[in-house]
Amino acid sequence: MLNIKNNIGYFSKEAKTILKLNLASNLLSIFSVGLILFILILVATGWFISNEAIMKIQSEAEISLYYSEELKAAEVTVLAEKVKATDGVESTQLVTAEEAYSQMVEILGMDAEVLRHFEDNPFSSYIEVKIDIKEIDNVLQQLNTLVGVDYIRDNREVLQSLMDIEKALRLISYMVFIAVGIATLVIVTHLIRSGIYNSREEIITLRLLGAPESFISIPFVLSGLLLALGGGFLAILLSTGVLRLIYGQMLGPLPFIPLPDQGRIISKIVTLTIPLSIVLGVAGSYFGLKSAAES
Amino acid sequence: MIEARGIHLKYPDGTSALKEIEIRVEAGDMLYLIGPSGSGKTSLLKLFMGMEVPTAGELIILGESMSYIKGPQLQRLRRRIGPVFQEFRLIKGRTALENVMMGLRFLELSSKELKEQAVNSLERVGLSHKLNALVDNMSWGEGQRVSIARAVARRPALILADEPTGNLDRENAIKILDLLDSFRDASTAVVVTTHATHLIEDRFDSRIVEISNGRIMERAWGEA
Repeated sequence: MLNIKNNIGYFSKEAKTILKLNLASNLLSIFSVGLILFILILVATGWFISNEAIMKIQSEAEISLYYSEELKAAEVTVLAEKVKATDGVESTQLVTAEEAYSQMVEILGMDAEVLRHFEDNPFSSYIEVKIDIKEIDNVLQQLNTLVGVDYIRDNREVLQSLMDIEKALRLISYMVFIAVGIATLVIVTHLIRSGIYNSREEIITLRLLGAPESFISIPFVLSGLLLALGGGFLAILLSTGVLRLIYGQMLGPLPFIPLPDQGRIISKIVTLTIPLSIVLGVAGSYFGLKSAAES
Repeated sequence: MIEARGIHLKYPDGTSALKEIEIRVEAGDMLYLIGPSGSGKTSLLKLFMGMEVPTAGELIILGESMSYIKGPQLQRLRRRIGPVFQEFRLIKGRTALENVMMGLRFLELSSKELKEQAVNSLERVGLSHKLNALVDNMSWGEGQRVSIARAVARRPALILADEPTGNLDRENAIKILDLLDSFRDASTAVVVTTHATHLIEDRFDSRIVEISNGRIMERAWGEA
């Protein structure tokens, strides 16, 4: 019954008129929705980056196996072979005390001076073991049963802390997501109600002429959609600007943090924000129309 | 087209607006509802438009009982009626053509038909030169004509006009009544309310019903 194709121009014009009727208020609302979505994007991006970093760290998970100093070179080689044959171990590499010293010099950089205060090399030889992080418990249990193993450093505390941070960020993201959703819905609902109030005479006339409710509603749904999308685009602009700034600041002094590709994050931001704006715009309009009809 | 049997209308505040109304309108009829302000003419027209529901009696408009009609059924009925409102109810900030087209947009019409019907009806009411003029800048008489054009562009079975001559001088009022009269035909009836009885005294081919205090008082021409 409703000829949407023939009326696309009319609906767009009506939506524009609805927005124009309260231009200042609508612009402020777009700004508010933009800021709210911006907060959501920041939190979601923080969670995404930390998640990516943890995944990368986990994929490179390695443990250090220190063996008894009494072992001879041939026994160490045999031990390394046994370690390599353990389930969950991906690769092994023998690191001599000298290599361990050199690695630390590299890590400390300018601060490597401190190592010169030692008379002897303070580092011991060890076996570097790359493992599947999911198998860490099993691997540790098996390695501890091997003869000649003195001590295993598993870095589990560091990994656990990172995983805790990721969990907390995920929880915060969910909570912000819910808060942002409700705030945006309230703003759009209120604006649609105001729009309906401002256009009440026109709505009554259309009803008296026999217009279906869907025909009357479409311009309001469109205006709600435009409001939320406007806010969404503003949030994307703000967040990409902030992201560039943060990346610029972090890549220099903190090169060891494995940050995901910036372009990929921006594409994720767009993919999250646009559909979310559409859903919130339509849902807000629906609630606005419903509450206006009820009152 | 209209069949009212023992209609009563009481508003929620207790005001009894209409009592024992009996009216029958057939296709091709031109019916004038006359009476002073507050007599019940507009209330009766509101019943015909489905804006009010009779508190008692039976009212049938274009084959639909008005006692229980609502939702899509009422919408469909209203699309078959051409209403001309007392205050026009034109949409401000829009042109005459846009206002007339607005009444056609939700009908089964192509874009071409929609525009053609709107233009034709504006031509018929003598406003072909004001298609793109904003209704905000129009005179009372012109606004009234746009309102009539919007009502008739839908080719309705029933045209209901509420005080279409109000605020018009005698000459323009007669032109408007003549214009409305010109739309009645074998399939269309026209009902007009007016308190200007002097304008319809010589309309012998029309039916006139006088309402006073919510009751039908007398029948001047034809049977009510």
